[in-house]
Amino acid sequence: MHELSLAEAVVSALLKMCEEEKWGAVKTVRLRVGALRQVFPDMLEFAFGTLVKDTPLSDAALVIEDVPLTQRCGECGVPWPEECVECPSCGSLRRETVTGMELEIHSVEVEAL
Amino acid sequence: MNRIITIQQSVMAEDEKFAASIRDRNARMGLLMVNIIGSPGSGKTTLLEKTALQAGLSMAVIEGDLATDRDAERMARIGVPVVQINTRGGCHLEANVIEKAMESLPLDTLDVLFVENVGNLVCPAEFDLGEDFKVAVLSAPEGADKPLKYPYLFTSARVVLLTKIDLLPHLSFDMEMFTTDVKKLNPEAALFHLDSLSGDGVGSWLEFIKIRAREKKANVR
Repeated sequence: MHELSLAEAVVSALLKMCEEEKWGAVKTVRLRVGALRQVFPDMLEFAFGTLVKDTPLSDAALVIEDVPLTQRCGECGVPWPEECVECPSCGSLRRETVTGMELEIHSVEVEAL
Repeated sequence: MNRIITIQQSVMAEDEKFAASIRDRNARMGLLMVNIIGSPGSGKTTLLEKTALQAGLSMAVIEGDLATDRDAERMARIGVPVVQINTRGGCHLEANVIEKAMESLPLDTLDVLFVENVGNLVCPAEFDLGEDFKVAVLSAPEGADKPLKYPYLFTSARVVLLTKIDLLPHLSFDMEMFTTDVKKLNPEAALFHLDSLSGDGVGSWLEFIKIRAREKKANVR
């Protein structure tokens, strides 16, 4: 999708925390990105690298953890393989996404002051 | 020693707050909000014109486009309250912009608020505007392979509309593949085929919207 706005949201949230929590330099930023989120990692890294110049995040490495898509049946709860049109166990059409929608700043590694 | 600080915060946290507040207000007012998403030229505005003229609903539209207020003019011409948002290049609408646009609409007189998102099958699908549901609009000339190529939209929409079906005789549109792919991505989606200009098939769509609007009014909390 729009990796630049995504990177902007990440960087501005972190810079705010950085100031409020009085962090030292940030060494690592870990994101969790679900498979349904249409994020192209190379573009996100590029945008992030551009936005953090001359900030306390300028040395931070960006680590993107891919979260796979998992689904289950909304009726009987059994795992629902991606290629199935209906629940392999009860035939229901109600499919729920369990993981794959994540778009989250998971954690940061910060240099002690 | 470096410290690891766990944050676990959604990247969209700021915008999710706006979406939640819109959803909350609409629930209190019994106002149905529908987010219309499709490519440029897929027939979103024409569909909304037809809906305004035939549904017998009190509706308003928020139009999202990179430039011009042409879509807003079209809606205003038929007496629909409308706000045009120009994103100047932005590929999608976000909830904070919608909240501001809603301020200039007569919300308490409405049954349905439509948001016509920026023409794009990718980004708009990812931003929660506080709507009740998304509608994916695909016109027949775009091709039957689009659901699998742009799966996020078709997975997250509650309604899939195939428009311009009057052109089908002139196209090599594989209807069986299209239907199978949509069902595979989203077994519960309501799928309608229509031609907004002649009105063919529009009735089922209008009926769907009217029922949803009534349900929303009936469930005011």
